Amino acid sequence: MAQYRTQVRIIADVLSTARDQNTEGNGVGVTTLLRKGNMSYSRMAKLLSELVGSGLLLELSGEKISKYMISQKGIQFLAAYYSFEDFALTFGLRL
Amino acid sequence: MTPQSDMGLIENLLQFIGVFVSFSIAYVAYRGVRHTESSSLLRLATAFVFLGFGFLIEGLVGLGQIVPSLPVSPTTVVIGGLLLETTGYFFLAFSHAIDVVLSKRMGAALLVFPVVTLTSIQLQDILGILSFYFVLYGVVETVYSYARTRKPDTLLIAVGLSLIGVGTFFQWLSLLYQYVGVLSLLQIILQEMGLLILFTPVLRFAVGGVKVNGPI
Repeated sequence: MAQYRTQVRIIADVLSTARDQNTEGNGVGVTTLLRKGNMSYSRMAKLLSELVGSGLLLELSGEKISKYMISQKGIQFLAAYYSFEDFALTFGLRL
Repeated sequence: MTPQSDMGLIENLLQFIGVFVSFSIAYVAYRGVRHTESSSLLRLATAFVFLGFGFLIEGLVGLGQIVPSLPVSPTTVVIGGLLLETTGYFFLAFSHAIDVVLSKRMGAALLVFPVVTLTSIQLQDILGILSFYFVLYGVVETVYSYARTRKPDTLLIAVGLSLIGVGTFFQWLSLLYQYVGVLSLLQIILQEMGLLILFTPVLRFAVGGVKVNGPI
């Protein structure tokens, strides 16, 4: 049976993609985030705007496209998220 | 002090360990709610808040500290405490968001038992047996979750819940058979052992330490 992702799970997925795929240190493009995030462009654009606004992602503006990099606050958020996920899982729960 | 009053004192002191453990788990779960907005963790926090207050009331009544100040009989207060506990076990059982066929089958199977056991009109009996079935449901869900994740800590939680389940069963038995102090003490000991096992992930959480500068 399919399990729906909660909003916070989607945020964690986007942030972890921005962290893990940023191998060259110059950010991750929207295409990569879309591919890994598995959502529509309009929804992703809205989410990225929110994440940048809340300081979890940093937007690196290029000539044509913007790239995104996880911020220190985003790394903290991810650490807390995985920790609470582990806590919930221990009780047999999903976040 | 007579051996019986000693036993009563031990029982009441153990209740306060339950209060501490319950509120600690509730606190960590609540922190999780603030950071992740998870409804599962909210139900978990709610469960342990109810359990904590239930144990607190029972412990206080046992120690005879609040009885003179309340215009209700100790029995009513004890039933109130039991009601809080049962509500806590209800939230604990149904905090599981796992949508599985096994759960539905087991849930239906568990419904058969109350038909047999709910013949007594005593409210304490009803609450006791309801608590037992809620915990049993929680055990089934947790074991199923362990089968999926193979996470050792989840199995540990299932063991903890099982001990609480056996404890609530003894609690129910001790209500049926009056003057059986040993059953009552055994119930508290099993319940506290179970709660202490549930406390393990909280301890690990506290040692590991998670710091986030407020919710997003």
